[in-house]
This record gives sequence, structure tokens and C-alpha cells, in this order.
Amino acid sequence: MLINTGIPTKEQVLSVFPPAERLEKGPVAVIECFQRIPCNPCQTACRRGAIKPFEDISDLPVIDGDKCNGCGLCVSMCPGLAIMVVDMSYSKDKALVKLPYEFAPLPKEGDTVTALDREGKPVCDAEVIKVLNTAAMDKTPVVSLAVDKEFIYGVRHFGSAGVPPAPYNEVSSQPDDISIICRCNDIDIKQLHDLIAQGFTSIDEIKRISRLGMGPCQGRNCVPLVLAELSCAMGKNVSEISPGTYRPVTRSVSLAAIAAYSESKETLNE
Amino acid sequence: MNKTADICVIGGGISGVAIGYFLLKNGAKNVLLLERGHLAYGATGRCGAGIRQQWGTELNCVISKYSLDFFETAQDELQYNGDIEFHQTGYMLLISNERELEQMKKNVALQNSLGIDSQLLTCEDARQIVPILNTDNLLGTAFCQKDGHLNPFHMTQAFADAFKRLGGEIMTYTDVTGITAANGRVTGITTNKGFIAAETVVNAAVGWAQEIAGIAGLDLPLFSERHNIMVTEPVEPILGPMIMSFSLNLYCQQTPHGSFLMGRTDDAQPRDLRMTSYSGFPELIAQSVVNVMPALKNLRVLRQWAGLYNVSPDNAAIYSAASDPKGFYTAAGFSGHGFMTSPATGQSMAEMILGLPPTLPWQRMDVSRFDSGELLLEPSVV
Ligand SMILES: Cc1cc2nc3c(=O)[nH]c(=O)nc-3n(C[C@H](O)[C@H](O)[C@H](O)COP(=O)(O)OP(=O)(O)OC[C@H]3O[C@@H](n4cnc5c(N)ncnc54)[C@H](O)[C@@H]3O)c2cc1C
Ligand code: SF4
Ligand code: SF4
Repeated sequence: MLINTGIPTKEQVLSVFPPAERLEKGPVAVIECFQRIPCNPCQTACRRGAIKPFEDISDLPVIDGDKCNGCGLCVSMCPGLAIMVVDMSYSKDKALVKLPYEFAPLPKEGDTVTALDREGKPVCDAEVIKVLNTAAMDKTPVVSLAVDKEFIYGVRHFGSAGVPPAPYNEVSSQPDDISIICRCNDIDIKQLHDLIAQGFTSIDEIKRISRLGMGPCQGRNCVPLVLAELSCAMGKNVSEISPGTYRPVTRSVSLAAIAAYSESKETLNE
Repeated sequence: MNKTADICVIGGGISGVAIGYFLLKNGAKNVLLLERGHLAYGATGRCGAGIRQQWGTELNCVISKYSLDFFETAQDELQYNGDIEFHQTGYMLLISNERELEQMKKNVALQNSLGIDSQLLTCEDARQIVPILNTDNLLGTAFCQKDGHLNPFHMTQAFADAFKRLGGEIMTYTDVTGITAANGRVTGITTNKGFIAAETVVNAAVGWAQEIAGIAGLDLPLFSERHNIMVTEPVEPILGPMIMSFSLNLYCQQTPHGSFLMGRTDDAQPRDLRMTSYSGFPELIAQSVVNVMPALKNLRVLRQWAGLYNVSPDNAAIYSAASDPKGFYTAAGFSGHGFMTSPATGQSMAEMILGLPPTLPWQRMDVSRFDSGELLLEPSVV
């Protein structure tokens, strides 16, 4: 299940894919954003108004297939790497898939890579057609792959054949000091590194002393980033580091709505 | 690992770090503090962190005034690099009935006689300070501007940093599993990281104080009860003081950071050291808060959690030296106000352990009061 594994089901993926008629017409964004979190850069990035206006910052993005031209602006804006662009008009047999890719080294145009599915399993070989990495993309390069049309529902990532991905710390030493880690409480990577250096080396301790992860997103945006930083700093695998305590409520609810509710049960974490 | 310390303090909550700091400040050497989790893992990191002097007994007034005076200069005295975020935006205690009015009149007179600058306010005056307060069913309020709120994590860290600067040592993720004694005297403690030889051991595990006393062979009249609390998203400042009502059973405060903290005493909460969240709580506290401050109704709740109140038979703290084994000291039983009184706890326990003359009347807080009947009953608690 998505909530446990981070991997959406086939049904979920199909539910956000534009219909076949729209796909035939040309490039269009596919947004796999399934969790209501306070996040909206995709909506504000789109200059064509193709992502329907949010009434609430936690709304899920919905694409208007008539307005979207697949420009890909939103792809590198999404901090969750939830967006790709699919272009079925690329050639007779091949579709172009534009994927956000935050790994080093970046592939080169003309390379052959192994396209991977949402679980990281190989799907097919793919040719790298284009690699875009401008300053405006803020370290989220977009890589375009040509794949056989039948695979568009499967391909979501790729591995450079034969080249092992760089250890995360080589990548993470690149962001500059003002890269924001916790967007709810404005904590940047330098502040985080300082806290780790002072000996706050678990999510729970960092949270308490800095309020990181205590804002409206409740850690959903920032905790994975902090886990990665802790992993480099302590030379431990992310799976060995506690993600900290998650507490009810799972989604923010107004006092008035809670006051109007009535049912009592025991729950959850310490 | 085998270690030696002159004094071992068990518990890295506000009481433990305050005791450690005041011990060193008063001349002790070689003090080691042990905490099973991280600092402020227990009640300290889960509390409302309100600071008030508006109490109904002389002893509590004196203790809380001493502590508040300390907090006012703590940032400098402890030379803390961070910010303890002490904001003196006041406590406003709501008066809903005649009985409460009589009690508040007595309390304010007592507080004023002890140099605490509290006062009774009419509903109109109260609304001047808190425009969003619904005073429809109130007779007035009591108010003290000097009361306020502190950041519990930073206050704990400030004590801990000062303690280390004075030469103290802190071991986190160290679980105390046993206390050894010979000839009626403490000789050391066993932990998951090994044995520590020490002739003096201070039990500041508070919520878990009975457990620690139990392994030292003592039976203290204490129990720990779960209390629930929740917090909203932060918004612009619209509420200065902590709003508290005994008869309506609520406290609610906007923290300096902008979020609203709120809690109440729930019936029949478990006393088995459980700190899971009780989902019957949000509904009741939300109803009370929306009733008292309707303007808050659209605020969104982000998080709910729970911590332990450690309670004695008269709701007042116990500062005690055991007669057998000698060298074993306990500070516990703080109910819902151990955070605000921690400087008094630290100084008093340091004086008791080091044989110094009392600054505060801590002899009256000995556990023997439950045998002699000289109880310290406090009328004004949530
Ligand atoms: C919901 C709630 C709201 C509150 N609001 C307020 C308020 O507004 N103002 C106020 O003044 N007070 C408030 N309190 C009370 C206050 O939190 C406590 O009285 C105070 O924090 C107690 O601090 P402590 O250091 O004595 O205990 P704790 O903070 O509980 O510290 C005890 C420590 O001992 C450790 N420990 C336990 N067993 C062992 C072991 N075997 N080995 C090693 N370590 C061990 C624990 O991990 C813990 O960290 C509130 C409490 C709760 C639960
Ligand atoms: S691909 Fe371009 S047009 Fe389509 S939603 Fe994204 S930003 Fe808007
Ligand atoms: S930016 Fe990404 S995560 Fe945020 S709402 Fe848009 S698709 Fe979802």
C-alpha cells in the first residue's frame, strides 16, 4: 500500500493518467500526488493555468488536459518528484518520458539506460534524448527517455547501466547553505548541519530543539530530507535511523470540526 | 564500562538538569546525569510549559515566585547560546461561580502579601487584555502579568549546557536498572551501559519515580497519570496570557511561536505509565476552547500527545532524603507544575544533599508529612 511502501497501486497510477485520446495528442503532465500535504509549487509553477486552482493548500493537483502542453515547468518544481511528462506523439513506436532525476552522475544524451518501474524493477532499455539542468530547475534535472509506447504506464525512473549511483553524501554536499529543509519553519540546511554537529542526531531531538517537522506538514516534506542528512553525517543507512514519532491527527482539522465530533477510542504512538 | 561519580542524578527532564546545575553551582563535584532517552523525553518535553505564581498556598506561592525570579535572569545566568523564549504575557484565571470568586479573592490577597503582583479583573477589564474572551458566563478573572511561558526544550538545554560547562557529565540513552546498597548506604547504580559507583543518587525520574524508588527498596506515595494535550497551527499573535479555568477544566495558551497549546484533565486516565494519545480528548478540549474563545474555531489542530502527571496524595511535590538506604534522594510528585518550579527543585535538592541552610522551606515537603498529617493541600490546580 502507498502509505506503507511509497509505491502507488496500478489503479492509482491509472487514475491520474490522462485518457488515451489526450495522450495521443502530444505531451502532457502526469501528476502522481496522492497524499494531502500542504504543498503547491506545481500549481504556482504552471504558467498556463493547467493545474486547477487550489482552494486549500493541501488540495491534490488536478491537470486540465486541454490547457497543459507538457512544457515540463512543474516537473522540476515538485519537491516530491511526483510529476513526469509523457509524449506519445514523439515517434511512431516510441514515447518520450520526461523524468525528474536527482542522482549523480547525470546520464549523457545518447546513452542507453535501464528504465525502472515504481518499485525500482527494470522495465526495458531506454535511450536518453535530452538532459536539462538549468539554474531555474534548482538541482532537479529533467531527463527525457525514449521508450516503447507499451511501457509508458510502467516507466517512472532509470538506472545508468553499469554506473553505480554515487553515494548520497557526494550529492548532498552540493546544496548551498540556503537550501531550505523545513519549509514550515524556515530551517535551512546550514542550520540543520549545525544542529547535527551540536549532537542532535535523531529526528525526535532535532524536532524538539528546532521545531523542524512540527509545522503544518508534520514532517511529511522534511523528515525524509533530514533522514538523508543524518545518514551521511553518521555513516548509517537510512533504514537504521528512526523516523521519529508520528502523532495524531494525520491531517490538520479545525477546532470547530473536532468539537462537533463524538466518538472515543485509544490510539497510537507515545 | 565502569565509572565513578560523587553524585548520580537519574532523569534528564527539567528537574534532573536543574538539580545537576544547582548541585555544581553550590559546590558539588563529579556529578553525572543519566537519562534513558534523550533530554526532555518525559513530561518536560510534553508539558504546557506555563509559568505561574497564582497559587492558593503560601508554600506554592513562595516556590513559584523564587522560580519565576530565576527564569527572568536565567538566559544570562546560564549563559545560554539559544533563546529560552521566556515571554511574560500573564496568566488569566477564569472565575465562573461564587465559590471560585471567594477562592480567588483569598488567593490574590495571599499572593499580594507575598509580593506577587496579581489582581482581580472585571469581565470588561479582562476583555481589554483578551478581546477574544467570551465572558458571558464569567464573574470576572484573576490576572498576573508576570506569569508566562517558556520553551521547555530550550530551558532544559540551557540547564544542561550550563551543567556541562561547570564540569557535569550527561549520558543519554542510559537506562538505570538497579541501585546497589551496602550497610544501609547507596553504593552505586547499574545501567544498560554498566555499573556506576556513587554514594549519592538523586531520583529525578519523576513519572517513573516509584519504579526507581522501588528498585532502591522504597515505597513512595505517588502515582503517574496520563494527561493529554494538543497544539494548533501557528498564527499571528491574538492571545497574550494563558487562559486557565479550574471549573471549566481547561488551559489554553498561544505560544510565542504562534501555535495554541491546550489541555484538560480527563477522567479515568490510565495510571500504568502509558503515554499513548487518548482520542476522547480532542473533542472535549475543542468544545471548551471554542466555547471560551469562539474566534479560535477555525484554527487547525496539528498534533496531539500525552505525558505523565506524577501525583502525590496532597498534589504537592515531595523533596525527600531516604533514611534507608542513606544517600538516596527523591524529587517527585509535581502534578501539573513541575516545570515552572524546577529552579526551586534544583536549589532545594542541592541544599538538602550538600547540607546547606534552606533558602526555601523544603523541610516541609518531606515525605514524612503524609504520616504526620501536615499536608500541603493546594486548592488551585487543573
Ligand atoms: C500534558 C502536561 C502539561 C503540563 N503542563 C505544565 C505547565 O504548563 N507548567 C508546568 O510547570 N508543568 C506542567 N506539567 C508538569 C511538568 O511537565 C512536570 O511536572 C515536569 O516536566 C517534570 O519534570 P521532571 O524532570 O521532573 O520529569 P520528566 O520530564 O518526566 O523527566 C524524568 C526523566 O527521567 C527519565 N527516566 C525515567 N526512568 C529512567 C531510568 N530508569 N533511567 C534513566 N532515566 C529514566 C525519563 O526518560 C525522563 O526523561 C505538565 C505535564 C503534562 C503531562
Ligand atoms: S507541464 Fe507545463 S503546462 Fe503542463 S501542468 Fe506542468 S507546467 Fe503546466
Ligand atoms: S508540488 Fe508535487 S507534491 Fe506538491 S502538490 Fe504539486 S505534485 Fe503534489
